[in-house]
Order: sequence, then structure tokens, then C-alpha cells
Amino acid sequence: MIADNLNAPTQTATTTAHKKGLPSWLAWGGMIGLVQIFAIATVQPLGVSTAYPQLVGYLADKIVPGFAQSHPYLQKIGVGIGWETMLILGMVLGAFLSRVTQRRSSCGETCENVPSLFQSSTARAIGAFVGGFLILFGARLANGCTSGHMLSGLAQLALSGFLFGASMFAAGLLTVWIGTKRSQA
Amino acid sequence: MDTKMILGLGTGVLFGFALHRAGFSRCGIVMRGLALREFTMLKVMLTAIAVGMVGAAVLATFFPDYAHLKVKPLYVGGIIVGGLIFGVGMSIAGYCPGTALVGLGGGIRDGALAVMGAMLGSFAFILAYPTLEPVLIKPMDFGKVTLHEVLGLPHLMVALVMASLLMGLVFWLNRLDAQRGT
Repeated sequence: MIADNLNAPTQTATTTAHKKGLPSWLAWGGMIGLVQIFAIATVQPLGVSTAYPQLVGYLADKIVPGFAQSHPYLQKIGVGIGWETMLILGMVLGAFLSRVTQRRSSCGETCENVPSLFQSSTARAIGAFVGGFLILFGARLANGCTSGHMLSGLAQLALSGFLFGASMFAAGLLTVWIGTKRSQA
Repeated sequence: MDTKMILGLGTGVLFGFALHRAGFSRCGIVMRGLALREFTMLKVMLTAIAVGMVGAAVLATFFPDYAHLKVKPLYVGGIIVGGLIFGVGMSIAGYCPGTALVGLGGGIRDGALAVMGAMLGSFAFILAYPTLEPVLIKPMDFGKVTLHEVLGLPHLMVALVMASLLMGLVFWLNRLDAQRGT
């Protein structure tokens, strides 16, 4: 089992604040499902990654006028502020509201409990930035991310979602497996 | 702001709040998930998909006016290559495009860095698109195909079966988590 190869302590960081009632994953997973139904009933299924190039294109166009006009991808997706860009601004706000209304932090720094390779703060910072670059580049090439292809694509039984999910998990599991091997060597 | 923008903001607030409470502001949840060490990430994700799947099918079957579905085209090359790049990125960042925003809003440094990397990544893609489009996006495009169309079965029926299978998987993963004492 791959999990046994990790050096890090095995206690985990579930954010369950209360012991009784629904488990945290079931309550919030179900809630995300309901948000999805609301999104479909009102405008369109949840999707996050299109808004990034829309926002970047919008800003680039402010700095270099005509930038959006001269780039085919921006003409295709359209730049500017719409439902998708408001969605991602809302997500930042929603996370902030959750944080400030949480009675106590159920998860301190110590419970980060990441694979050994990422226990150094510098490694996590570099990983976050480089990984951030890759997830957006990959998501735009595939025309969707975990939200658009998985949460929404699979919910609509789209074959594109199944294919994206399979290749994403294959690469993700393999990367972690190689990383774990290397960090033990 | 028009109605659509207000709806987008409201939906985003609820989505971000739920992801934050489910523990996605920190990179560990994804990293542990991909290391198969514990399954919170998968349990949340699959539960959300199952609920959305039944909801989408119910809307499409009984309230088609309210079913604003948007099936993405199946262009094999770009989805496979993009998915592989995405998987590598997600495992080293511990974030996906949505949870990076949740990390940023939750005041986590790594989330903010992932958002910055993501902005740069989208900029790179804007520049690379004319080169990539004829190679990976245009060819082998099978259009907007769904499982129930391919099977030739009613949408709602396939959705109910798939959602039950997903929830079965979720409760099995939950038992594994419980056995490991997490």
C-alpha cells in the first residue's frame, strides 16, 4: 500500500468540528451538490477555470489596449466581468466568511500532515506556485477543471468528464508515488 | 451589476464557504487524498457529484426550462494531455483552480501562491492557444456526448444508477478511513 510508505505521522486532519450529526464530508459534500443544482437551475453548471484567463485578459487589456482583440483564445472565451468571474470572486469571499465565522480553528498548522516531500514550507510554496501554473494551463487545454469537468461534467454524465477525471487521477497518483519514492531514497 | 452577476457572486459565496468548511483551504487534503492516505477529498467530491447528478437529471426530465446544462465536447487529445498536466499540477500544489481561491480567501499563503501561479498559467495558455489548437483541440473531437446518449437509456435512470454506485464507493472509502482510525 502506497500509504504505508509515507514517513509522516498518520493522524489526519479532518475538519469535523462536531462529533455528532452528519460527518463533515457528507454535510459539505451534499451542500456543494445543492449549490450545483442551484447553479444549473439559474445560469449554468459550476465551472471555475474559465474565469482565470477572462480576468487575466481583462487586466492585460487594461494595461496593453487591444490585447484581448489580438489573442484568439480571448476572443473565443470573451473577457470581462460576468457570471464566471463573479463566481470566483464570490468563492474567495465565501471562504473568508467561513474563516471569520468559524468558532475555533479545528485545524492548526501542525495538522497539515502532508507527504514528507512537502513538509518544508519552502517546498510547499514552490509547489503551490508551479502547480498553480500547471493546473490552469492543463485545465484550459482540457477545457475544464475539477469543477467544470468533474463536479459538473460527471454530474451531467458527460464522457469528456470521465476522460478528464481518469487522466488527471492517473497523473496525480503517479506524481505522488514517484515523489514518495524519491523522498525516501 | 445585472442579475446574472449577482447570481454568480451568490453561488460563489456558497460554493467557497462549503469548500472551506470541508477543509479545502489547505493543500494537505488533496495531497493526502492523492497519496491514498485518507479519502476526505474523494468523499466530498463524489458526494457532491452524486447529488448534482440526480439534481441535473431531475431538472432535465421534469423541469427542462430550468436545466441549464452545458456538456463539454469530447476532444480526446487536449483532454488527455490537459488532464495529465492538471494532475501533476494538482499533486504538487495540493490545490485545484477552485480550492486555490478558497485558500486565498481563507488566508493561507500557499493558496495565494497557487492563485498567482494559476494567473501566470492562464496567461501562458492565452499565448500558446494558436499553436496548440490545431494539434490537440481541433482533431479527434467527438462533440458533446453523454453516457446516457451512448447507452441509449433515459437520463434519469442512468443518473440514479451512477449516483448509487458513487455513493456506494463513498461509503466504502469511509469504512476504509474508519478502519485506519482517522
